[in-house]
Amino acid sequence: MPSFTLTRRTLLKTGTAAAAFAALGPAFLRQAAAQDADLAPYKSAQIDWQQVSGETITVAVIPASYFENLITLAPQFKALTGIDVRFEKIPPAQIRQKSVIDLTSKTGTYATHAADPMYYALYAANKWAEPLDTYLADKSLTDPAWFKLDDIIPAWRSANGIDGKLYGMPYDGEVTIQVYRKDLYDAKGLKPADTLEAYMSNAAALNTPNDRVWGAALRGVAGAGQNMYIYPSIFREFGGDWMKGGKLTVNGPEAEAALAWYVDIMKKYAPTAAANWNWPDIADAFSQGTVASYIDAHSSASVINNPEKSKVIGKVAYARWPKGPSGKRTTSIWNWGFPINSALPEKKRKATWLFIQWAASAETQARTAHKFAGPTKRSGVNRTSVWKDPDYIKLMNGFGENFVEATMGALQEDTDVDWRPRVPQWPAIGDTMATAIQSALSGQATIKAALDDAQRRIEPMMRG
Amino acid sequence: MATTAVTSAGIASEAPRSDFGRVLAQRERRFAAALLAPAFLALLATTTFPLLFLVYTSAFRMDLAMPFTNGFVGFDNYQVLLSDERFWTSLLVSLVYTGSTVALQGIIGLALALLVMDMKRGQGWFRVIAILPVVLSPAVVGMIWRTFMLAPEFGIVDFLAINAGLGSKNWLGDPTLAMVSVIAIHTWQWTPFAFMVLLASLASLPEDIYEAARLDRASAWQRFRRITLPLLRPAIVMVIIMRTMVALTAFAAIFTVTAGGPGTATEILNLYAYRKSFTELSIGYGSALAVALLIVTIIISGILFAMRRAK
Repeated sequence: MPSFTLTRRTLLKTGTAAAAFAALGPAFLRQAAAQDADLAPYKSAQIDWQQVSGETITVAVIPASYFENLITLAPQFKALTGIDVRFEKIPPAQIRQKSVIDLTSKTGTYATHAADPMYYALYAANKWAEPLDTYLADKSLTDPAWFKLDDIIPAWRSANGIDGKLYGMPYDGEVTIQVYRKDLYDAKGLKPADTLEAYMSNAAALNTPNDRVWGAALRGVAGAGQNMYIYPSIFREFGGDWMKGGKLTVNGPEAEAALAWYVDIMKKYAPTAAANWNWPDIADAFSQGTVASYIDAHSSASVINNPEKSKVIGKVAYARWPKGPSGKRTTSIWNWGFPINSALPEKKRKATWLFIQWAASAETQARTAHKFAGPTKRSGVNRTSVWKDPDYIKLMNGFGENFVEATMGALQEDTDVDWRPRVPQWPAIGDTMATAIQSALSGQATIKAALDDAQRRIEPMMRG
Repeated sequence: MATTAVTSAGIASEAPRSDFGRVLAQRERRFAAALLAPAFLALLATTTFPLLFLVYTSAFRMDLAMPFTNGFVGFDNYQVLLSDERFWTSLLVSLVYTGSTVALQGIIGLALALLVMDMKRGQGWFRVIAILPVVLSPAVVGMIWRTFMLAPEFGIVDFLAINAGLGSKNWLGDPTLAMVSVIAIHTWQWTPFAFMVLLASLASLPEDIYEAARLDRASAWQRFRRITLPLLRPAIVMVIIMRTMVALTAFAAIFTVTAGGPGTATEILNLYAYRKSFTELSIGYGSALAVALLIVTIIISGILFAMRRAK
């Protein structure tokens, strides 16, 4: 299979690069940073990068390869601007709490942090984060012709905006797609599902627990970013509307049908343990060959293509979310963006903006992706232009058949800003919904009772 | 007083020395106070002040999601709490969790202690091995059980269950089994503590009473009921009190194993207070829940202490 050789070759190549990189070490990087030619693409911007030289800012990120790549390039940023950046790595489960505590107390510990798009409504309501349009419009801080805001994936921009104002600049993001075992599908003459109904029947056809192959798996563990990452897509595809008549509604016939589909597929065709699985568990199970298909973030492709762990390399193919009864496909609009902490003094805010502009620029996006010297490449770059770059496409196609088409299709056509209700009360609503979904899945409550109870609990949260 | 001391001629000669002694004692006290002050202040700052602040916060509406609604509400949070079904469920879960783990720890701990007391060799080794679970962090224990032990189809417990003919069970995905699992995990981790305390008390029991009982032909069961249990009573009550206070405020292991799920099946009061405060960002109501937990803990340990004094 051509895709297989390509994958292997790409991986071998990156492996060699990794070895060279490790051998040369940070000294090599520092030297590279000092080279003026390296900074030329940035210096073509009509702004004074050195205007707040000498400032120091702290940036909180999660320990993920896409941020590691950025951290590696930080010496270049220092050489360009004279600004020192200190990175703090906080696991995804804690970064929301830590940043909210920092923002509430107005200590300004984190100048910016990897932010959850669902939190911008909360940040805006509390005036914790700066509206970025002020910075984008300031000619002394931003060169619009160089930065090209329109090039940044529109769905992620709208996900990070409140009332038309941008609060966080997307750095890395993802879409949800179908991932399936092409060999198993071919053996049974199956095609990737075009509808949720077909996805269910594919799962039924492939479910053979006695041979340790299960038909499908979706995130089951409770949490606003876990089972409530997958369910909103199903809810929207069944025609659900979070803000029915201006009132936040989580129950009703569409919600019941959506949850019933989720519970049905999880109970019948997913491994029992999946009720407690998050995406890494699913990707691990898939890479061990025990799951025939799953629907999750396209970025999990790097786990199932890890040559050290995966047994399914070369057997993987991708497709977009299956359509729901409403005829819609709804992907996630997830991205990690960078907001500016309002509690900072003016100079630090400027320094933070320069950092954000640098990190989100097409040049840095390319340098942390296909142009990166290290072993791991990013699959969630924020720019349409990079997604059209032949080198990037070549690299991404190494993940398996139809990867770029499925991801690009989802990015451009399946995105839906109202994927989840974008209100400041989201942390509470997301957690309540997550608990309700899991109660229905575990049989603690019926589908209708779980949703009605969630609605009852959510109403006082919205009344204020 | 110094003045009365000099008026009496008889003790006049003693007065200077006792005065000196008093001054010395006073100095000593001052010195002790000066030494204690930093620790005392640190204690105030880290325990008393946060506690008072918690009670103070519970009288406010502090909702980070809706900052415009924040303000003083008096006892409103407590009123809401009394009609909050999830509060009562979580309190019930807390009581079931605490009651069953403490009972199991006491019974298994005592049985193990009696068993080990009779061991002729290898007692030391057994003690070392038995204490291991206690030194592990509850979060690590949670992770180990969640991934290696309890995962259906993949975990050791499930493997054993399948081989025992019970079939594969969804240990953490079924409401009842999840509760059984978290109780088993807590018991597994903390029984060694009860075991060590009871073993130490057993070792200190006077041998001659048993000697006399044996001469009187008392059976093993009679010796256990009439001699061992009454003599061990203070140790047993101490174990129960200490374990109850910890079990009521358990957190890390449940948080990592089930996070209170599935649904709210294993959501103890402590976990509910945490979720309200830090996930839902309702700090005021979360504080009221934490205060409620504090009150429950104080009442229960008060009752237990009273029982200890009785008899």
